[in-house]
Amino acid sequence: MDILQIVANGVPAGMMYGLVALGIVLIHNGTNVVHFGYGEQITLSAYIVIVLQVIFHVPFWLACLVSIVLSALFGLVIYLGILGPLRRTPLIVQVIATLAIGLGIREGLRAFMGPDPWPFPAIVANKVYEVHGVFITTANIVVVTVSIAIAALLFLFFRLSRYGHAILAACESPRGASIVGISVKQVSAVIWVLASVLAAVAALLMAPVLTLSPDMGLIAIKGFCAAILGGFVSLPGAIVGGVLLGLIETAAGYYISTATKDMVAYAALIAMVIFMPQGLLGKRLIKKV
Amino acid sequence: MMDRRMVLALLIAGLVVLAAGPAFLSTHAIVLLTLIATTSIITSGLSIVTGLAGQITLAQAAFCAFGAYGATLMSSHAGIPMWVTIPVATVITAFIGYCLGVMSLRVEGHYLALVTLAFAGIVNLGILNLADLTGGAVGHAVEPFVFFGYPLVSPTALYYLSMVSALIALWGVSNLIRSRWGRAFNALRQSEVASMSLGVDVRRAKAVAFGLCAGLAALGGALQSLQTTYLDPVQFTILTGVSYLSVMVIGGLGRLSGAIIGAAIFVLMPDFLGAFKTYMGLIFAALLLGIIMIAPSGLGELVSRHRWFKSPEATS
Repeated sequence: MDILQIVANGVPAGMMYGLVALGIVLIHNGTNVVHFGYGEQITLSAYIVIVLQVIFHVPFWLACLVSIVLSALFGLVIYLGILGPLRRTPLIVQVIATLAIGLGIREGLRAFMGPDPWPFPAIVANKVYEVHGVFITTANIVVVTVSIAIAALLFLFFRLSRYGHAILAACESPRGASIVGISVKQVSAVIWVLASVLAAVAALLMAPVLTLSPDMGLIAIKGFCAAILGGFVSLPGAIVGGVLLGLIETAAGYYISTATKDMVAYAALIAMVIFMPQGLLGKRLIKKV
Repeated sequence: MMDRRMVLALLIAGLVVLAAGPAFLSTHAIVLLTLIATTSIITSGLSIVTGLAGQITLAQAAFCAFGAYGATLMSSHAGIPMWVTIPVATVITAFIGYCLGVMSLRVEGHYLALVTLAFAGIVNLGILNLADLTGGAVGHAVEPFVFFGYPLVSPTALYYLSMVSALIALWGVSNLIRSRWGRAFNALRQSEVASMSLGVDVRRAKAVAFGLCAGLAALGGALQSLQTTYLDPVQFTILTGVSYLSVMVIGGLGRLSGAIIGAAIFVLMPDFLGAFKTYMGLIFAALLLGIIMIAPSGLGELVSRHRWFKSPEATS
């Protein structure tokens, strides 16, 4: 029974990490940058919903929709305004730029919305079901359903659509892709928009479960852990890594103590990077001179 | 170009002004200058690892925590005076940094940044959860610095202690930059493969850079704790580590003066903004982005990496 309950709690938590990891991996594959401000982008989307709903009294579903659209635009602005122009600079410059984006969003939210948490409405009324002694909440069911749906949609998009193929090609070899007529710039822009939409969706799923405060973006570290577990280059790997991380964490929380949950997750990241940097589903990178 | 005698004269004049400082400065100014001195020890560590060796680390605040907590806890639990525990904590932290460097030898770029991020997270959680030892979220009082019966607690005494330590540390780092090790760090930033083929032990150089960086952070953190007199885990979060790196970028990653300018920004900006303190983080981020956008090649030139790290478009 214990194990079933750990699975029932760990899988939804892991799916959320997997969603965050998906966005991070998408951006990394498309533009070679790890977006250290991704968590803050998620937080920003959640705050947009709150601002629209509480201050402008917009209905919740419309607020969610507007938040997704604004997030997509924001992603485009980040690409066109900051990381696009910086794409030829050394990695360290780009990493610091993404850190600065995160810092700006987090501190901006703290300045304008206050440091205290905001209550975030649940997407569906929260109920707890009991199945053979295992407790399952509606929030968790929604998280799992939406995450699987998004992962499936992304999978179909990349496997079946011409545009998905173009993106994969551009990720594989920007030079080759541009030779066969794919606009690498446009692909990068689409990837940023896609990842930002994902951030907004993740925000809607996470904000009711986590505490919505300017520091919610620290959840991105879990996303990094999930991405590394999954190999950092593979999209299914991101989800698998996320679920695995969720299970490890929940088990640690259950068998050791809840205080160790985050520590175990971070330790998993370090161990993975040191002993298996290629991840579970990734390919070993061979450095060429 | 200034000739050597001119530089020497300026240096001596600067030292005289610093030494005479407490005679004519207000207590507030002394406190701020002391903070800048200790912070510049912390940031000078970053100028070795990030500026010189080109590795990204977000764990600087965690190493500060090792130094500050290490010194105070050894002193309060074992009764060893602080003037012994601070150097001991510094050496131990340098060793921990060296070990982290050794462990991260195989990874670089993003992965190293992520490892240091996770490490910083673990350290902070450790401080929070080992409440019996560290005081947890409540914090822990810092033991006073007593040197053979003479307590150094007044702002002026701490000013001299911190200034002298900072000058020694910065002098050491500036000598290091021109030493064999400094040249090795510099080479490995520009091209790991090339430096390897020229006989630089890349792995060892990286680990040594990390160790030095951690040691400097510990020293700076411990000295800083003497002034703040209280250890609060909030001072040592991942976000503080990101701030240290950010001020270094604003100050200039490639030069040692960047460490001092960065430290000055770190200390003076909250003071300078006063009522606009709420917007500090935002202004700070805008400043950071502005500098990166305006001078990406300037910064890039200083921290240029070999082709594997550049975007594929740039290499092909």
